[in-house]
Amino acid sequence: MSAERVRASGARQDPAWLRRTLIAATLLVVGVLIVLPVVSVFVEAFRNGAGAYWQHLFADPDTRDAILLTLTVVPIALALNVVFGVAAAWAIARFRFRGRTLLTALIDLPFAVSPVVAGLMFVLLFGLQGYFGGFLQRDGYAVMPYLTSALVVVVLGASYAFLRPSSPKLRRGLWAWPRTTVLGGGVILFAGSVLAQRALGIWPSGATLKIIFATPGLVLATAFVTAPFVARELIPVMEAVGPDEELAAVSLGASGLQMFWHVTLPNVKWGLVYGVILCGARAMGEFGAVYVVSGHIAGQTDTMPLRIEKLFQEYDAPGAFAVASLLTLVAIATLLVKSRLARELPQGGHR
Amino acid sequence: MSIEVKGVRKRFGSFVALDGIDLAVPAGALLALLGPSGSGKTTLLRIIAGLEVPDAGTVRHDDADITDHAARDRQVGFVFQHYALFRHMTVGDNIGYALRVRGAPRAEREARVTELLRLIRLEGIRDRYPAQLSGGQRQRVALARALAARPSVLLLDEPFGALDAKVRQELRQWLRNLHDEIHVTSVFVTHDQEEAFEVADYVVVMNQGKIEQVGTPAEVFEHPASAFVMDFLGNVNVFQGRVERGRALAAGLEVPYPQYPHAEARDTAVYVRPHELAVESEPRAESESLEARVVHVNPAGAVVKVELRTELAGQLLNAEIDRERFAALDLKAGDRVFVSPRRVRVFLPDYAI
Repeated sequence: MSAERVRASGARQDPAWLRRTLIAATLLVVGVLIVLPVVSVFVEAFRNGAGAYWQHLFADPDTRDAILLTLTVVPIALALNVVFGVAAAWAIARFRFRGRTLLTALIDLPFAVSPVVAGLMFVLLFGLQGYFGGFLQRDGYAVMPYLTSALVVVVLGASYAFLRPSSPKLRRGLWAWPRTTVLGGGVILFAGSVLAQRALGIWPSGATLKIIFATPGLVLATAFVTAPFVARELIPVMEAVGPDEELAAVSLGASGLQMFWHVTLPNVKWGLVYGVILCGARAMGEFGAVYVVSGHIAGQTDTMPLRIEKLFQEYDAPGAFAVASLLTLVAIATLLVKSRLARELPQGGHR
Repeated sequence: MSIEVKGVRKRFGSFVALDGIDLAVPAGALLALLGPSGSGKTTLLRIIAGLEVPDAGTVRHDDADITDHAARDRQVGFVFQHYALFRHMTVGDNIGYALRVRGAPRAEREARVTELLRLIRLEGIRDRYPAQLSGGQRQRVALARALAARPSVLLLDEPFGALDAKVRQELRQWLRNLHDEIHVTSVFVTHDQEEAFEVADYVVVMNQGKIEQVGTPAEVFEHPASAFVMDFLGNVNVFQGRVERGRALAAGLEVPYPQYPHAEARDTAVYVRPHELAVESEPRAESESLEARVVHVNPAGAVVKVELRTELAGQLLNAEIDRERFAALDLKAGDRVFVSPRRVRVFLPDYAI
């Protein structure tokens, strides 16, 4: 009887020496490869005391500008990716269309492409010798009034069509206008907006619009490299939640926007936060693509990772480690939030 | 409000879900769409609700053509098969949602929620979340939510499909009573014929995207329009045979069938319901009864179910006899008996000849 029990437990568990060896080996590898370097970053940063650390971070104007630039570029790239990620996840999780599988694969493309190549692609598109670079340099600001006005009219038109009740009986006020009035209103709005922008001189005249070696390029490169994060997190969550609650909201009389705010967003919010945090952490640390499009103009186009590299090249190790410690802190904070969030995600939501 | 569906067709890829549906639901009726899975009943329901767009055909409410109207403009209450309650909202917020999106003042909303909670007899659960409710409670909350904005049409997709037998029975009764109370035109989908017959005023039997029969439960049960309906309405004994000169002949039996007086014999299936199969211990005249052996007796229930095997063809038959008759016959497995159909049904494809 007791012999049987021993054998039964032996069949369920690996021998003790094997367990201990595996655990010890894992701890050793994690310690040497992960914990030790992270600790050493902080040790190096604080080598000359907290005062020197502070000096390194905020006394050097170039470092200060680099931190500010990162804090500008990352939120914009993040906002772009939230909009793109929600739209893409919605399309893929809710609709069945031709090319859906291809789109799913394409979303992951930025993960597969080397960041340096991504940077080069943007140089090819928007650089001075690139496809659009010359034109933007010359006439970039001149087309802005038209571009923004067209965008405004398209967005308003789409919302109008989206929110218009399908039953003629329910169309009141703005929605009762005849089609021609609405179209005419759109044209007038466009013309008015263009004229107003030109009269007010919102866009600088005579200046050149630079994408590459300027902030817009940094935003584009960062957004491209981190594009998959939000969509990747949202798609499985949206698929797990299913479309029934959204349909229920619509059948109860909710408009598309109400459905999104009341039902879709609360159901996927943890997935969205998770994606945003991963995306933000990755965007702050992005080096390769940004390196290609930045041009390394100190105080102008150096983000934090670029600044670290430059300080390191200039043999200013304490300065480099001080900035590096900030990025490391962000990473640790991300990890903590991430492990808390993993519990909030619905079944099938985490990967 | 009455509903009229005309010539509705819907395909999903190469699968034909609805193949020309014409259906009228009178105002205030409670109608059941009954059919096996894949018969298109849920698709039809979703088209009436505006959650699916038909490829062809029209949907009308009273006199208004609402085919192109979005779901939210249709004044329809829809109860989903798996309830689809908003999981992050309390029961009260779920029920009040339709009024919230219509911009109703808070006081009015709260009053309506209280009223509906009383209607579904769940006053105490207002602040709970859907995950904390039992299946039956969720179902009732889903119904209350659908009724909140006083829809003119109530649509229910397999309303009791995911519940256990006892709760199901209670809710059926409850839905019937509720409908008698509020009289909103209602359509519900089910694959359970018993449920359809018990709850509905009218039953629509669907098969492969077509309507097989429309009628009251009694009409559909007593006069099935097709072999499919006969088959679908419950276990039935099928004999292969033929009809000629006002008689049906099958498996050695000969039964009067005056509906087919023609001389020309036609091969067909002959249907006999279990309760229309008489079981006797003595044979009748030749070709009026079949010799069979009792295979199994199930005495648990209002009627006794007897499984038999015919001696001649070895065909399995089901018979239902009342308890007195069962006691008189004293049936056991292995007994030799004689069966004779009291009534047969025959469905001829082109009966008009």
